[in-house]
Amino acid sequence: MTLEKEENVVRQILEKAPYAEGKVRRARRIEFHIPAERIREFLTLLKESNFETMMQITAVDWIKDGEIELVYQMWSYTHAVHAFVKTRIPREVEKAKVPSVKDIYPVAETYERDAHEFYKVYFEGNEKLEMPWILEDEDREAGVCHRKDFDMLSYVKRKYKILDRFEEDKEDYVI
Amino acid sequence: MVDWRLYEPLINFARKRSMWIVAFCTGCGGIEMPPLATSRYDFERFGIMPNPAPRMADLFLITGYVTPKTLKRIIITYEMQPDPKYVLAHGSCPLNGGVYWDGYNAIKHLDKYLPIDVAIAGCMPRPEAVMDGIQKMMELIETGKADGWKRYKENYEYYKKNQDELFGEGWREKTARRWIPWLMDKKKEVREE
Repeated sequence: MTLEKEENVVRQILEKAPYAEGKVRRARRIEFHIPAERIREFLTLLKESNFETMMQITAVDWIKDGEIELVYQMWSYTHAVHAFVKTRIPREVEKAKVPSVKDIYPVAETYERDAHEFYKVYFEGNEKLEMPWILEDEDREAGVCHRKDFDMLSYVKRKYKILDRFEEDKEDYVI
Repeated sequence: MVDWRLYEPLINFARKRSMWIVAFCTGCGGIEMPPLATSRYDFERFGIMPNPAPRMADLFLITGYVTPKTLKRIIITYEMQPDPKYVLAHGSCPLNGGVYWDGYNAIKHLDKYLPIDVAIAGCMPRPEAVMDGIQKMMELIETGKADGWKRYKENYEYYKKNQDELFGEGWREKTARRWIPWLMDKKKEVREE
């Protein structure tokens, strides 16, 4: 199976965006790494290059690197290619900021709320970030998030008062 | 003057054969309802019927895991039902959390917040198990042992305390008002695309 179509797409995009790194992962999957401050520029370029749909914004917490990786997943109906646009931002809550892309892809508004709620990434320009989303208010006030340094198990024990069912020193909990 | 206690066995028999279910599928167990309702297991032969209004329902099926968000709605719906009302907990999750035992978003013991009459274990219980639970429920109703609604009234302080500990005081008003500021702002806004 030849990867000619994917290589063509990557080459055309990299010609217009020399600051990005791109490669072909396999058939129908391509990948770009870009600096966080140029995300708007790059996604505008992708929209012009027939990537019509944004499918998801995923956040990955790399706790050892001290970084959060945002993966914008784009789908092109024209090329039938799925592009991962990866960018890394610092992990501290004050510095984890990235420009919003909701005027380029309107659906990004929802995905940005999702990433903000569970990974505390701040998207500058999205005014609906604080709107109620999946978490309940009491969970949100307690700081529940899916970052790896949040101690979820002890929070669950405290919230549901089930301390007696677990032993603290055990690695594997047996019910 | 008629002593209505004389007619209690007859009334209980009628209650047993005409349980209406609140159509409120709280979790993944809702997918067991279609085979129960349709021709294979056909619970209508026992007089059971899914019913859209909680004001006319007797039986509340807690189908699967209960999140705190759903539990608020479950409590409100349960209190809207007229007496007598029966709760059938369905699957392992309402009993002890099941596979969500370490999840921040699933209730571990439902019977701390609502009285349960019959509990079915299993993940998921097959429709046969649910039919068995329903027959058990009918048996309990006929003998007058399905008294969850009385226990809820008698021990209301206990249930209220547990609910308030989980959700915080005044959670009903807070939940009802939660969206108001965002909805008020949204009316003025016109989305341009």
